[in-house]
Amino acid sequence: MHEFSVMDSLMKLLVEHADASGITRVTRVRLVVGRLRGLDLRQLRGCFEILVEDTLAKDAVLDIESVPPAGHCRTCGADFAIPDYTLHCPHCGGGEVDITKGRELHMASFDGIRETAADA
Amino acid sequence: MCQTCGCGATAGTKVETITVLENLLAENDRLAGHVRRHFDDHGVFAINVMSSPGAGKTSLLEATIQALSKDLRIGVIEGDLETENDADRIRRHGVPAAQITTGVACHLDARMVHDALETMPLAELDLLFIENVGNLVCPADFDIGTHANVVLLSVTEGDDKPEKYPVIFRAADLVLLTKTDLLPYLEEFDPARAEASMVKVRGQGAPLRLSGKTGAGLDAWTGWLKAQVAENRGLHPKDGKPHEHEHEHEHEHGHGHAHTHAPGA
Repeated sequence: MHEFSVMDSLMKLLVEHADASGITRVTRVRLVVGRLRGLDLRQLRGCFEILVEDTLAKDAVLDIESVPPAGHCRTCGADFAIPDYTLHCPHCGGGEVDITKGRELHMASFDGIRETAADA
Repeated sequence: MCQTCGCGATAGTKVETITVLENLLAENDRLAGHVRRHFDDHGVFAINVMSSPGAGKTSLLEATIQALSKDLRIGVIEGDLETENDADRIRRHGVPAAQITTGVACHLDARMVHDALETMPLAELDLLFIENVGNLVCPADFDIGTHANVVLLSVTEGDDKPEKYPVIFRAADLVLLTKTDLLPYLEEFDPARAEASMVKVRGQGAPLRLSGKTGAGLDAWTGWLKAQVAENRGLHPKDGKPHEHEHEHEHEHGHGHAHTHAPGA
């Protein structure tokens, strides 16, 4: 439901990092999103398309890595996938479970080019 | 355009990869830490109150103010898309209230709360409630600088809601089952089923059952609040001498970590 503000933050970060590294054209952006964030990937892509218009990332490809949730049992130490958000250890049945994956929300990296005035 | 993968690179240009690894909510989190320092400088314990629209957040706050006004100085920040109605309801009880109208935003963020603090007399408060926009999805993702998350589930909702909206129930330090005065009329809502649904997403620990209308169960809730305020006061005394406000100094509390947990949690 707040895909736009998330992608707006991504654009700010992207421009900041591109400027700092002298990149003038961004060709690819890699975003990592945990499924527990409740963000709709199609909407993220739609917002990205709107936000990159007239920016240094206007032709960039957006890669989204969707991370499935995983947990760690404090009782028996098992690591396991959480398919339906049931926070019980499938090995010992314990309910003391820490979420280890699925809450990610970051820009991993981006690709870009340093164009000289002659290229542009 | 590159013919291999469709990216924007043209032949002959050198594509570089820049590693970022930065959280997209980092700016909000930084501001939330800043807001938390405002609270800690004044020894104010702040609570993020979340639920569906209509679960009884404002009514609960009204009942809480009435029950606690002799013991604690309370302030309220109200979040809604539109209107000043909820802040007006709170002000009738003689406590300071600020209204944030978000317009289209489905949640409060740290910037909105920071701006609302301008009118909040923190030096004169012990406890601040921030009533988030009624929504069980988005508010869970935004740290607004509070010390604890309280989530309400009213008995007029489905008793399987915790499983349907696990992220917010998981983030709660305390869950309140509200409007229990209506239970006799709602045979489809089974409190035991609601509690089982909560255990599934939160682990052990029962919610507090209460009714803001009749006052039933309110003592356990106000007792929890008093204990939280007292504990927080030990960490951040209300000495009337706020620390030098260092903007670069980040507070260590993460999102959703109160100092203690609910009774039985």
